[in-house]
Amino acid sequence: MKFRFPTLLGLLAVPLALASGCKKDSDSLETTSPVTFTVRNVAGSQDLALNSTTATTAAGETFTVSTFEYYLSNIKFTKSDGTTYAAPDTYFLVNQAKPSSLTFTVPSVPAGDYTGVSFLVGVDAQKTGLTDPATFTGDLNQANNMYWTWNSGHIFLKLEGTITSTSPSKPLTCHIGGYTEPNNAIVTAAPSFNGAKLTVQANHTPQLALVANVTKIFDGPNQTPLSTFTGAHMPSAQSVQLAQNYAAGMFSVEKITAN
Amino acid sequence: MAAPRRTPWIGRRAGWLLLAALGVAGSAAVMPWRRPAAPPAGPANFPVLVYDVAKNQPDDATFELGRQLFYDPRLSSDGTVSCGSCHQQSRAFTDGQALALGVAGRRSARNTPALQNLGWHRSFMADGGVRGLELQALAPLTSPQEMNEPLADALAKLNADPDYRRRFAAIYGPGAIDTPQFLKALAQFTSALVSADSRYDKYVRHEPGGTLTAPERRGLALFQQKCSGCHATDLFTDESFRNNGLDHTFPLDSGRAHISQRPADAGRFRVPSLRNVALTAPYMHDGRFATLPEVLAHYAHGVRPSRTLDPLLRQPDGRLGLPLTAQERQELLAFLNTLTDNSLLTNPRFAPPASRARNQPPVASVGP
Repeated sequence: MKFRFPTLLGLLAVPLALASGCKKDSDSLETTSPVTFTVRNVAGSQDLALNSTTATTAAGETFTVSTFEYYLSNIKFTKSDGTTYAAPDTYFLVNQAKPSSLTFTVPSVPAGDYTGVSFLVGVDAQKTGLTDPATFTGDLNQANNMYWTWNSGHIFLKLEGTITSTSPSKPLTCHIGGYTEPNNAIVTAAPSFNGAKLTVQANHTPQLALVANVTKIFDGPNQTPLSTFTGAHMPSAQSVQLAQNYAAGMFSVEKITAN
Repeated sequence: MAAPRRTPWIGRRAGWLLLAALGVAGSAAVMPWRRPAAPPAGPANFPVLVYDVAKNQPDDATFELGRQLFYDPRLSSDGTVSCGSCHQQSRAFTDGQALALGVAGRRSARNTPALQNLGWHRSFMADGGVRGLELQALAPLTSPQEMNEPLADALAKLNADPDYRRRFAAIYGPGAIDTPQFLKALAQFTSALVSADSRYDKYVRHEPGGTLTAPERRGLALFQQKCSGCHATDLFTDESFRNNGLDHTFPLDSGRAHISQRPADAGRFRVPSLRNVALTAPYMHDGRFATLPEVLAHYAHGVRPSRTLDPLLRQPDGRLGLPLTAQERQELLAFLNTLTDNSLLTNPRFAPPASRARNQPPVASVGP
């Protein structure tokens, strides 16, 4: 028996493509356009440079960053009338060490004027809870080292570095994940357009520029002092608290370009 | 004495049929050794298979590739430890060590579990943290205390090896060896490690050789009365997580609570199967008991109280553990020895491959 993944995937792709092609509204001529996202990771007002930028929390504590990665998924666009478009199968791994990952494109967004966007920071439970590795394609591949091998599931956000405001300095490790109660760390971010509109129309690829402020992992509804922080390594109450922080304040929309 | 459990021989189960097909396909291939004939039907005394074999169709070339991977120490960070280093066939794929020995002399925090009947598992590891058979291999591969190899590095090693490239391509088609190919090939080997032919199995299935002595039968009756609440079904585990009274507190290894983060799970560990238990010493998640008599002595008079102690180890009169006389323990031991299954321990298909060249698939199966 010699089945092959490319063939198999091809067979799967055809009906999927047909299905999504038929899932339009009554208007079968509806136009769609890709929307490009860019992400700029920052520490406060500075662009984040790995191993050099000093990030300062609201409490004045400082840290540097050696690794900063997170998943953005389940991207959803909202129109002013409240209707939404949920982009299917959108999983993007943003990795500060990999410049190409700081730009990604959501294909085939229906034309229209959108007034908001939301996304999961992490991977939905339905997806990350699967047990067949063939379902983890592209950015979800476990070889990306964003997966807990001892506690099956993706790491949603990984921040590693050094806390420099303590004496002596100490390692900083935040591996946030977990998709079951009571430690479900899947959170939704919905950065405001501040009244601006994202216009999707034929022959244009609008661009949504996001900024992600790394200090907001600790600053937010659950203010977390670094002096006593011992790290987050597993699904836990602390991981949920940090996830609530970055859901609330890490992301903002910097610019929307019609292109 | 309770009547021995007798499960009527029932027809083939779909899942088992696929596993059996592996044996049939294997025996048809040109191989340098003779393998035992596939059983005429599945283990009728087993529950329904859990592993979704349909997504990893048994195939002889893939099984042999998985076997090669299982015994390849190059998959560890320093090239010294393979899956088979800790999972040795003659010991029902355990290693005789209290704690597993990884690269550079490092010790895992846990005892090496036996590998058998994995297709019937719903979760893996002593704490159940791993949720699928194909995902399971990632845990020892990447653990710093075990093989210490990031998955991306393991894949890079495979992709740099022309022989692996050729063998993977023959099965999965051209292109780089990727995560699912690697894990599915390994799972073809590990899922084939079935133990269902101990003397006890033959006894319950009324097969030739299925004779138990009088003490063994008394041991079986005692087992059903005192042990089968946890070591349930003919898999000899109900796959639950239980605190069997090893300690008062669990500061070093909280077991299931490490995964669930629930205090109610502190000190709970997966109920292990008792198949081939005579060969899997030492015992418990940390290998603290060297012998089976020590294990039985623990249940008879060593159980320690804690908030999460399993209710089955609290007797109505308030005593802890399982009341067992010396003679009853002897009879239980006699029964436990009937669970040894030489068809798993000596099957040449499960042994380390003799050489890489011998295991190359027939030319006919190469190419799209």
